[in-house]
Amino acid sequence: MSETIITVADRPIREVHQEIQAAAQAGGSILIRDARSRHNLGVGLPPGCSVRFEGSVGYYCGGLNTGARIEIERNAGWGCGEAMSDGHVTIGGYAGMSVGAAMLGGTIHVKGDCGPRVGVAMKGGHIVVEGKIGYQSGFMAHGGKIIALGGAGGSCADALWEGEVWVTGDIQDLGVDAVVTEPTAEQVAEVDAILDPLGLKDTSRDWRRIVAGKRLWYFESRDAKAWLMI
Amino acid sequence: MCGIAGRILNAPGKVGADLVELMDAQEHRGADSTGFAVWGVPRDDGYIVRAIGFDRTRMAADLEDFRAILKQHGSDFIEDPTWDNDRSKHYSVRMIIRDPADMAEWVRAADEICTRLEMQSVGRSLEIIKDTGGAYAVADKHGVRDMIGTHGLGHARLATESDVRPNASHPFWARPFPDVAIVHNGQITDYYTWRNRLTRQGYRFLTYNDSELIAVWVSDRMKQGLSMEQALTRSIDEIDGVFTFMIGTPETIGFAKDRFAMKPLVVVNELGRIAAATEEQAVRRVVLDEDCDIINYDGPCQFGTWGVGNRRAAA
Repeated sequence: MSETIITVADRPIREVHQEIQAAAQAGGSILIRDARSRHNLGVGLPPGCSVRFEGSVGYYCGGLNTGARIEIERNAGWGCGEAMSDGHVTIGGYAGMSVGAAMLGGTIHVKGDCGPRVGVAMKGGHIVVEGKIGYQSGFMAHGGKIIALGGAGGSCADALWEGEVWVTGDIQDLGVDAVVTEPTAEQVAEVDAILDPLGLKDTSRDWRRIVAGKRLWYFESRDAKAWLMI
Repeated sequence: MCGIAGRILNAPGKVGADLVELMDAQEHRGADSTGFAVWGVPRDDGYIVRAIGFDRTRMAADLEDFRAILKQHGSDFIEDPTWDNDRSKHYSVRMIIRDPADMAEWVRAADEICTRLEMQSVGRSLEIIKDTGGAYAVADKHGVRDMIGTHGLGHARLATESDVRPNASHPFWARPFPDVAIVHNGQITDYYTWRNRLTRQGYRFLTYNDSELIAVWVSDRMKQGLSMEQALTRSIDEIDGVFTFMIGTPETIGFAKDRFAMKPLVVVNELGRIAAATEEQAVRRVVLDEDCDIINYDGPCQFGTWGVGNRRAAA
């Protein structure tokens, strides 16, 4: 199938968006050129299409994705893949603040490092980061898995709900109510099954699986100090 | 929300034009007002004063009274003042004055008429231009694109905590420290605590904008002998809130970010030519190499400074 080429440059973003949507509905493969780190590109893409961005994109790229394959050559700004329910997003470089915020399903694969609050309030799906995840990653994640292969910044997995944060490498420090557990063989196999299709499976890894200590699930006055830490 | 920007050139050049582009790219972050601080080629003596008057029909009387205060402090106009020819009720005026005998005392005296004519900046090289409206509108009205200098700051304001008025826009001058200005994206939550402390020390605030406070806070620390880097580090520990701010002096632009890592800063350093902004799409308007390395200062408690090189020679 032939590839549709769409150039962003300084054109009105609405016009670019309509072109991307029209090509995506036809189910083809789309190449986006000269994105200039502009915001809101490739939002609400349907299943069955594949969109590749040359260079870097701005905020909210690939948000509300319902099944498209999206590939960003270099960096993504804030909120990449926000609230996506299905599909696959690959970021070749650095992902800015809140990548995968409130996502429900699908996979985000970041080849570089991430900014703060990776997967904030995510409800499901997977975020795989080859580099380091930033400050307060997994903040209030309700579900899903964040898997970091290059360590984590400060306040890791702060105020986690039912999500899981998996880290190999150094963790600067843990967030409020974050508890490190030893994963079972079955749990490791589950994570390896997520990493395998990305070519990242490595059975020699020393994992730390971080979950909620559940102290913040119900308010207890004796825990008031922990609440004040948030 | 607000958007901020900083620019450093290797030698005096069209820094005003670059700042206008940096701010136009971020106008969606705050279209209430736009402002620019430009450090031009420094004067050996005398100061450039930028001021906003609130009633154009009274401009002659305002300037006469301003001049009378100057004379009481051993100063006077070196050149005739110039002003914008807009039809707006407020007016912006640029004056060149002789060195007053005592800067702080003169500023205090000149501020006695600040309800009519309010000084926005005083410096050997600093000029602050700010007004309501977007980047291109403010640039057209005040000739910002023609401003030559080595470095500058820009700001697009979305007013959340205080008025939308030309003089409540950013950048803020660190009254009464000549040549120091700030732009800020965020909110200071212990604003009144610090304002009261600094007021007791003798500082005067003309707005209720928290950014005006940071400018004076950092300058006061530097007056006490701290380096800019030391003052910026202290600000992260001692000021509460979510913030990213940039402060400029004749030699340096510095930045600091709060401990919650809420407000972004994107920087490109092309061999000393610095472009810094809230959003990456803004720096792309002025950098030469589209494959340049982008530095994202996304983490908490970050600070840094960039030096300004050759301030006088042409490139």
